[in-house]
Amino acid sequence: MGGAGRILRRRLISAIPVLIIVLLFTFLLLENASGDAVDAYLVSIGGGDASLRDSLRTQYGLDHSALWRLWLYATSVLKLDLGWSVAFDRPVLSLIMERLPNTLLLMGSATLLSFILGTALGIVAGAKPGSLLDRALSSVSLALYAVPGFWLGLVLVLVFAVKLRWLPTSGLETIASGKQGFARALDIARHLVLPVASLGLIYLGLFLRVMRSAMGEIWRMEFVSFAQSKGLSRARVVLRHVARNAALPLLTVLGLQSAMMLGGSVVIESVFAIPGFGRLAQEAVAGRDTPLLMGIILVSAVFVILVNLIVDLLYALLDPRIGAGEETA
Amino acid sequence: MPPSPLSRRSLLKTAALLAASTTLMRTDLAWAAGSGERLVVAADSEPKNLNPAIVASNGVFYISSKIVEPLAEASFSGRNGLEPRLATSWEGSQDGLSATFRLREGVTWHDGKPFTSADVAFSALSVWKPLQNLGRLVFANLESVDTPDEHTAIFHFSKPTSFQLIRNALPVVTSVLPKHLYDGTDIATNPLNTKPVGTGPFVFAEYKPGEYYRLTRNEKYWGKGQPKLDEIIYRVLPDRAGAATALEAGEIQLAAFSAVPLTDLARISKEPGIKVIADGYEALTYQLVVEINHRRKELADLKVRQAIAHAIDKKLVVDTVFLGYATNSTGPVPKNAPQFYTPDVKLYDFNVDKANALLDEAGYPRGADGNRFSLKLLPAPYFNETKQFGAYLRQALSAIGIDAQLVNNDAAAHQKAVYTDHAFDLAVAPTVFRGDPAISTTILVKSGTPAGVPFSNQGGYENKELDAIIDKAAQTVDEKQRTELYKVFQQKVKEDLPIINVAEWGFITVARNTVKNVASNPRWAVSNWADTAIEE
Amino acid sequence: MTVLSQVFRSREGLVGLAILFVVAASGLSAPFVFPNDPLSIVAAPLIPPFTDRALPLGTDTLGRDVLACLFHAARSSLLVGLCAAAAALLIGTVMGTLAGFAGGIIDEALMRITDAFQIVPSFLLALAFVSTIGPSLPIVVIAIALGAWADPARLTRAQVLSIRERDYVASARTIGMHPMEIAFRQILPNALPPVMALAAIIVAAAILTEAALSFLGLGDPNIVTWGGMIAEGRNVLRSAAYLSIIPGMALLATVLGVYLLGEGINKAFAGQGAAR
Repeated sequence: MGGAGRILRRRLISAIPVLIIVLLFTFLLLENASGDAVDAYLVSIGGGDASLRDSLRTQYGLDHSALWRLWLYATSVLKLDLGWSVAFDRPVLSLIMERLPNTLLLMGSATLLSFILGTALGIVAGAKPGSLLDRALSSVSLALYAVPGFWLGLVLVLVFAVKLRWLPTSGLETIASGKQGFARALDIARHLVLPVASLGLIYLGLFLRVMRSAMGEIWRMEFVSFAQSKGLSRARVVLRHVARNAALPLLTVLGLQSAMMLGGSVVIESVFAIPGFGRLAQEAVAGRDTPLLMGIILVSAVFVILVNLIVDLLYALLDPRIGAGEETA
Repeated sequence: MPPSPLSRRSLLKTAALLAASTTLMRTDLAWAAGSGERLVVAADSEPKNLNPAIVASNGVFYISSKIVEPLAEASFSGRNGLEPRLATSWEGSQDGLSATFRLREGVTWHDGKPFTSADVAFSALSVWKPLQNLGRLVFANLESVDTPDEHTAIFHFSKPTSFQLIRNALPVVTSVLPKHLYDGTDIATNPLNTKPVGTGPFVFAEYKPGEYYRLTRNEKYWGKGQPKLDEIIYRVLPDRAGAATALEAGEIQLAAFSAVPLTDLARISKEPGIKVIADGYEALTYQLVVEINHRRKELADLKVRQAIAHAIDKKLVVDTVFLGYATNSTGPVPKNAPQFYTPDVKLYDFNVDKANALLDEAGYPRGADGNRFSLKLLPAPYFNETKQFGAYLRQALSAIGIDAQLVNNDAAAHQKAVYTDHAFDLAVAPTVFRGDPAISTTILVKSGTPAGVPFSNQGGYENKELDAIIDKAAQTVDEKQRTELYKVFQQKVKEDLPIINVAEWGFITVARNTVKNVASNPRWAVSNWADTAIEE
Repeated sequence: MTVLSQVFRSREGLVGLAILFVVAASGLSAPFVFPNDPLSIVAAPLIPPFTDRALPLGTDTLGRDVLACLFHAARSSLLVGLCAAAAALLIGTVMGTLAGFAGGIIDEALMRITDAFQIVPSFLLALAFVSTIGPSLPIVVIAIALGAWADPARLTRAQVLSIRERDYVASARTIGMHPMEIAFRQILPNALPPVMALAAIIVAAAILTEAALSFLGLGDPNIVTWGGMIAEGRNVLRSAAYLSIIPGMALLATVLGVYLLGEGINKAFAGQGAAR
């Protein structure tokens, strides 16, 4: 598949200067920050004297020049070593790898929720454009898109965890429960219901719109009645063409959403005390942990680049097929 | 129009999952909340170094004091406010050059090796004196430690050192480490610092970052019939709203250090099965202090400082910011330190007119917009109360014509701005009184501390007379004389106002009624919880 | 038919305009209706809404008037939203025009920079920026703008690339107009309409980002914002939920209004385009 290969190569090559710019910017930013990792640490232990401070600075390598530290970091990144987190006292890469799956789980589930609910409701709305149901669904989805994610999270906690006591208030799973396998998965699922809802409900409007407009076009096409006369069930015809029509825009939305959700996960993880990647970013900034924050931004950038790449590849895959489909219809 | 097959299927699936999970809910809640003598408490931070011998801070003690024990612990009923732990008796020599500790017999480390005076000597010389943030001060003159037998340790000092100071500091600075595991290693980077080994009633079992710490019972603990608990879980809940709801939902049984916000206390105390306890923090008094940058011309003027003191309505602060769970301060030593406290100091009552008059006298009249001059106010971000007080102070100052601009920094930036760069005019700090003014109180007003040291005098204040009193008191061995000197210290501080003490507060514990022996000593939250029990 | 009247005709535009009018009115009238500093303590803390006639929406954890705070916050939130969006659009359009018009290596370099800012999730970027430099109103505006300029830049560039080859540009070139002049006086004005369509989205995103930053404690402490109010209210979610709910609804209404108005404007532009 030459086309895909070309896209892959082109994207990967242009990704490198982009990542370099990202890293440089992050480094410069943190260099100008007021307070460094040692200050953050001294605060956390409630005080210390001057000699402690100096010894810590030497220990963290903070007494070297900025350029030297940047060089050191750049060379280690090439070896896939993202450095040492001063706030957590562990390698950055292992810290990120520990937290990333939780966020990916959160984001993945939320995307699934938005997608399923959004497309389903979009089909319903598009089925009778202009009707009361259609307008109601569109308004609700727009309202949901306008809601601040953290506020939605708080409201959901208030209603479902505090007042109704149906779901837990925070965390990823019941601590030290020792559960394994399916029981553990269920426990995690219960804890994720509210955070996933807070994150996912917001974006369902995007999918709803795509499906709705895809539906809208179908009605206008004559082949529907033609196919119907042939005895094919209406639903099948509609759905097949809607799927084709909507595939590309849905893909675009999926791509856009991933970057937005990564940012949104920061607040949601804070509200629900989920030990994830987003919250790690917050902790990195609070601890003035340059290596950690740079690692986080690097990984986020790589993630978005990968998602965009996959979307582009899928575009290339789907495109010729849709062209052919339209011709025969 | 038939609904999409996709949505119906997925809806059914989610409904089934929810139904299944709700039935399981009852059982795992019960499981979570302390069946089998397990105590689940809220932890608001995850200290990376859990070694209390190096980092003597409350955040570390909260977890580690159950594992690593000090020579003595604070007590409501013991002599001099102490009760024995690893030391059974202690006394200082008349000349202040030595202190003798008799140590407890029959104590073993968690790995089975016996606890001896060699461990104490090692900890004192290799850890407390050189490495510990507070120990450097208390043991500054420590020269050597004799161990004539396995259960006696004699500390020798190069200069006369007050035993009163050492005694008051025992619970905080004397956590004993196992020599056989630390000797010969680089103590600061020893991996045991994240998995401490000690003599305490609980053993470190597990740490899951971002989630919890787990401690289990030490079967061979020296206390008879102790510990009463099988397991302690510290659940990481950095946000306070989370702690309150978790307590009510039964996911945790205890929230210490005011993890439940003060505003929730009235409501939560009415919940059946939950009690609010204000005791147990008497030895952990926090003080609300206004730090002043004396380099600023206006603030170098005593009249201006007095005006600011008169502008603060302490009662309002106590009632509104602390909801009554605090008391107003009269000076640098809190009221619940009877050893040193004196009420006989200059007081500054809430009097806006007087404040305005003082400012006029000092030569700072109001301008056309009503302001005399403007200041940068940096409230410490560590506590909600310091931030709220900052908001109040801004208003109080504007009432007397001072335009205070709030600066919102996070912990690291605040630390740097105030204590290193001195880029502040006024700051609000939560200082701690640790049993003796020499430990962490005199440093707030003494001159000569280099930049970068948090919670010290970084406002450029220099008062030779006060410095002389502080130095003299630090070298006085006779307890009566020493106490007298610290009383003079308090008077001088209130006269010259290097800092302004506004209020002092202890924390609040909220716990289920099933948790017994809460607040059994004045440092309860950071003591070893050997007698804490759960009774259904 | 002017664009404005077309906006009025669409239902979305009308509702959006109405909502924003209410919000703007409350923000603008705040210094007159509530002349005192909204952050000043006026009464006992946690008075519930609708219980005291002088304090219609009650007081917060410190005893401040919630209604006064709400009105003043309307000002700051709208101000931040508009300024940040304006900055983002300004930077974006300039960068996009330069890149599209100059072409070659300048284009490549500028596009890589744009990519860099587009790839890092904008909230993470804003978070890092505000945390490190220090939270104050201008910094928050810059932080949000930094995360938002990449999309308008791309769009402008795409527009510029297509317009660049048109006749009137060629004739401008032949009469010897300076390239900068061509870029900014001939091309840019025609490239703008689709970019303006983005404007509403950017304003809405800016308002939400500012709220999230304030919620995480990174707001300017000297002004009231809705996000900051929700952050305070969160501590007392159980006993005084109104403190979190009320500012949240204000946020929701404002952002909704912006979206609706944006839709109305889009429809109006689309209508105009069809008519041409």
